[in-house]
Amino acid sequence: MTGTLLQDIRYSLRQLSKSPGFTLTAVMTLALGIGANAAIFTLVQGILLRSLPVKDPGQLYRVGDQDDCCVNGGYMNENGDFDLFSYDLYLHLRSSAPEFEQLAGMQSGQNSYSVRRGNAISKSLRAEYVTGNYFETLGIGPFMGRMLTENDDAAAATPVVVLSYEAWQSEFSGDGTMIGSTVTINGQALTVAGITPRGFFGDRISDRPPALWMPIQTEPLIAGPGTILHHQDSNWLYLLGRAKPGTNILALQSKLSIALRQWLATRPMYTDNGGSAELPKQHVVIVPGGGGIQNLQQETGTGLRMLMGLSAVVLLIACANIANLLLARGTARRSEISIRMALGAGRGRLIRQIITESILLSCIGGVASLAVAYAGSHMILSLAFPDARSMPIDGSPSLPVLGFAFLVSLVTGVLFGIAPAWLTSHAQPAEALRGSGGSGRSARDRSSLPQKVLVVVQVVLSLALLVSASLMSKSLANLEHMDFGIASSNRYVVHVDPAGAGYTMEKLPSLYHELESRFAAMPGVSGVGMALYSPLEGNNWGECVIPQGYPAPGPNSHCNSTWDRVNAHYLATIGVPMVRGREFTEQDTPTSLPVAMVNETFVKRFFPQGDPVGKHFGIDLPQYSSSFEIVGVFKDFKINNPREATRPVFMRPLTQYLTAYKEPPIIGGEVQSMFVNSLILRFNGPQQDVESLIRRTLAEVNPNLTVQDLRSLDAQVAGNFNQDRLIARLTTLFGILALVVASVGLYGVTSYFVARRTSEIGIRMALGATRNQVLQLIARGVVVQLGLGLLFGVPAAMLTGHFIVSQLYGVSAYDPVSLFSAAAVLAFCALVAGMIPARRAASIEPMQALRTE
Amino acid sequence: MSQNIIEIEQLTKVFYTDEIETHALSGVHLTIGRGEYVAMSGPSGCGKSTLLSIVGLLDTPTAGRYMLNGKEVANLNFADRSRIRNQEIGFIFQSFNLIGDLTVAENVELPLTYRSGMPATERKKKVQEALERVNMAHRMRHYPAQLSGGQQQRVAVARALAGSPSILLADEPTGNLDSKNGEAVMKLLQELHAEGSTICMVTHDPRFAAHAERQIHLFDGKVVAEGEMTQLLAEV
Repeated sequence: MTGTLLQDIRYSLRQLSKSPGFTLTAVMTLALGIGANAAIFTLVQGILLRSLPVKDPGQLYRVGDQDDCCVNGGYMNENGDFDLFSYDLYLHLRSSAPEFEQLAGMQSGQNSYSVRRGNAISKSLRAEYVTGNYFETLGIGPFMGRMLTENDDAAAATPVVVLSYEAWQSEFSGDGTMIGSTVTINGQALTVAGITPRGFFGDRISDRPPALWMPIQTEPLIAGPGTILHHQDSNWLYLLGRAKPGTNILALQSKLSIALRQWLATRPMYTDNGGSAELPKQHVVIVPGGGGIQNLQQETGTGLRMLMGLSAVVLLIACANIANLLLARGTARRSEISIRMALGAGRGRLIRQIITESILLSCIGGVASLAVAYAGSHMILSLAFPDARSMPIDGSPSLPVLGFAFLVSLVTGVLFGIAPAWLTSHAQPAEALRGSGGSGRSARDRSSLPQKVLVVVQVVLSLALLVSASLMSKSLANLEHMDFGIASSNRYVVHVDPAGAGYTMEKLPSLYHELESRFAAMPGVSGVGMALYSPLEGNNWGECVIPQGYPAPGPNSHCNSTWDRVNAHYLATIGVPMVRGREFTEQDTPTSLPVAMVNETFVKRFFPQGDPVGKHFGIDLPQYSSSFEIVGVFKDFKINNPREATRPVFMRPLTQYLTAYKEPPIIGGEVQSMFVNSLILRFNGPQQDVESLIRRTLAEVNPNLTVQDLRSLDAQVAGNFNQDRLIARLTTLFGILALVVASVGLYGVTSYFVARRTSEIGIRMALGATRNQVLQLIARGVVVQLGLGLLFGVPAAMLTGHFIVSQLYGVSAYDPVSLFSAAAVLAFCALVAGMIPARRAASIEPMQALRTE
Repeated sequence: MSQNIIEIEQLTKVFYTDEIETHALSGVHLTIGRGEYVAMSGPSGCGKSTLLSIVGLLDTPTAGRYMLNGKEVANLNFADRSRIRNQEIGFIFQSFNLIGDLTVAENVELPLTYRSGMPATERKKKVQEALERVNMAHRMRHYPAQLSGGQQQRVAVARALAGSPSILLADEPTGNLDSKNGEAVMKLLQELHAEGSTICMVTHDPRFAAHAERQIHLFDGKVVAEGEMTQLLAEV
């Protein structure tokens, strides 16, 4: 058996080397097909299938299943699902569930902080607050020093921090004296307790994993008056636990849901104003947590699965193409097969020989595909996560990816080899004696029907891919060219961290004034905007709005509004016009009347009757409902998710601090909101050296005021569509690949038919056929195959559209223009591909054709 | 109308390959009268197939004059040659040259489909008649591969007849057949001749050449002997 297999492999290699053109075409087609799949699988494996690099990930479970980031108050979801928890609620659930060996809490949203060691320049690093048992829950020991422990969770404990291996290497040059040294985080001194093992990236896959983990008890120290640790109604923690072996997870889920409801029943926020009626449906869902918090998985899963499906279609087209090539080769080898059969070879033996050849071919293609996969996955990663820093996904083929490529190669080899093997093995041994091998003119070509069917299949699949590409490209164009309501050109967004640079509340007004005047004096700057956060940067602050005189809203009152703090003339800087009243001016100071500007949607929602200017509203509680006077209404613009309908938005002046609040959570939010992070600079025209100019100006204000992030507003807006862009580009690439492969397939099959039918063409010419009639004869075959492909392709494309509809924006899944244009492009390419051999056929000299055997 | 279907004068055919000139035909004179049965013979490479292909308008001469049914056809373009070939000439090939993917009836109908304006009913009628003439009507729905060599050649003869051509050109029509089937095909050609068909046959087999009224012998691209069979036999 092994001997004959080796013999088959040797023979197959000889056969492949005898036809270098065929081998090269097949290997390249396979490399592209398998490579595209392996590249997408690299991401699927890296994002969707991967477990956290921790001890026994199968034992980990998350309490909660949705994103819901980052700080929420009140009921979270209409179906009663709870995914975020306050620290107090975490402690309650932890004590209620001894089924967990450990239950850890971790901050849902991670922040960047100014981190300085000694007198070095501050670095902006991402950090995450975690409970003391975080590393014990995950089963992670230190690379150096020690990990956090329960003892670090005490308010009186010495504040410590754990550094990631990657950050230790990249930000601190792997300094061996790091352990025990002090780093300053937002002006507070913390001791470096330890360094995590290499490759550990935390509790979730992210394009910017944390560089630091801080005990949750350090949150009041770092956040100052804006702390939320002890706000019982501020939900901001994800929970991840290690279940004891044999735990009944469903029973635990019910138990924790009861514990949740018991706790919620003690909180007025959840019981007042009709809230008690909502209590019975509140619950938690416990899901496997071996992959960590699945935010990125949920965000990218649909797109990745769609790309996996589309790349599989490309591979199918490639398979159909190579099967066609093999069928053509098989027909040409019927004589050899007949001789083998005449010499006693069984059909099974011949099929094995031919399948060996196709699997060998696909394995060579599989090896070549690794280069395509390597380049492809790196390209995809850079497109999907352009801001990634230390992202824990490697574009290089890993062992699972290698296994996947090998498996796909094997399956592919069998898939495209089986039909040719079956047909070729049905040669008649008697044909060997006749010498023609059955290829004489009077013999029927048994492979022609399967070949034509394969071309039709290729056209069907290509049309589906091309329509998908067209839909995704239109969707992307709709997203990118939608009216965001802002002017983004010649504007730059700078993120700074005043708290990290040591500024206190009292010093903020003078800082803002200095920043504004210094940047305004910069050459070419025509406007300076300052805001808590800028449009479309992915941030959102929300509050429950209560118009003056209205009672406290119930749990389903939809009172939420986005809000932001901005400086005078901010809206003019970002190109948003006022529709009524005025914008903030320099006269809106900390001591002047508290005022607000609102957008048109805010007016429709909260003040649908009469002129809103001069009316009052407040947040959270009825006693504050007269806090702000509306002085202006601005035109709606996209401030957060561009896909969503515009939300109600109100804006407050940069330095107006409301002292009337009595509740610590509201005071905390008010304090935090005073520390603005975003500066928007409007230039007169395109500007060179923006970064160095900005860095220099900031350094002149305060050397500790570092640039956390700098980009053009155009780039910031475009960044909202990275995933859409990636999917659109890849789908287009797959569509082009499919088009090329299908066209080459049609060309190959038509060429093969012309070659096979050369003598027939000669006969037809001898019988009086003109060149046009020969051209029509061949073209008819092409048109019939194309027509059938389009006929079946249209419903296939519509079905594909149905599957990708969730990824589309502003375009119907059955868009007739996409369908028609894709069909037109495909038809054109297919006709060109088919006409080349058809014209060649028509130019054959009849005598030459008649001599052809 | 001239009594001669074919009149050829000073016909030459030269093939050029690289720097070599091959004179396949050198000053051939040939006339074939209406209703004649002519056999062309000669050794391999003497030019008989080249002459037949020029006579059949499959190829063009390098020089010389060729009148078919009184019309000069030596320098026609491809389309005109195709049209005349379709209407005036019926081919019978050594290797039958039936198209494997077409049925017997479709093969026979093929030359008729290249004629514009012939209704399908008329084509079917002619196909039926031609197949009946060669006793193959009962196999009209079969494919060539399902027939014996002799049957395939009879279908090829029916195809040649279907268009009612002025002349039947047969290139070694028995070359791929056993003696029994060969004789049957020769008998069929004789019967067609007896019914008035003009036939020009290339053969190297003297037994079959003997079926013709007149034999032309070629050697080195020239007609070296020509005459009625009885005369030639007498000279021999």
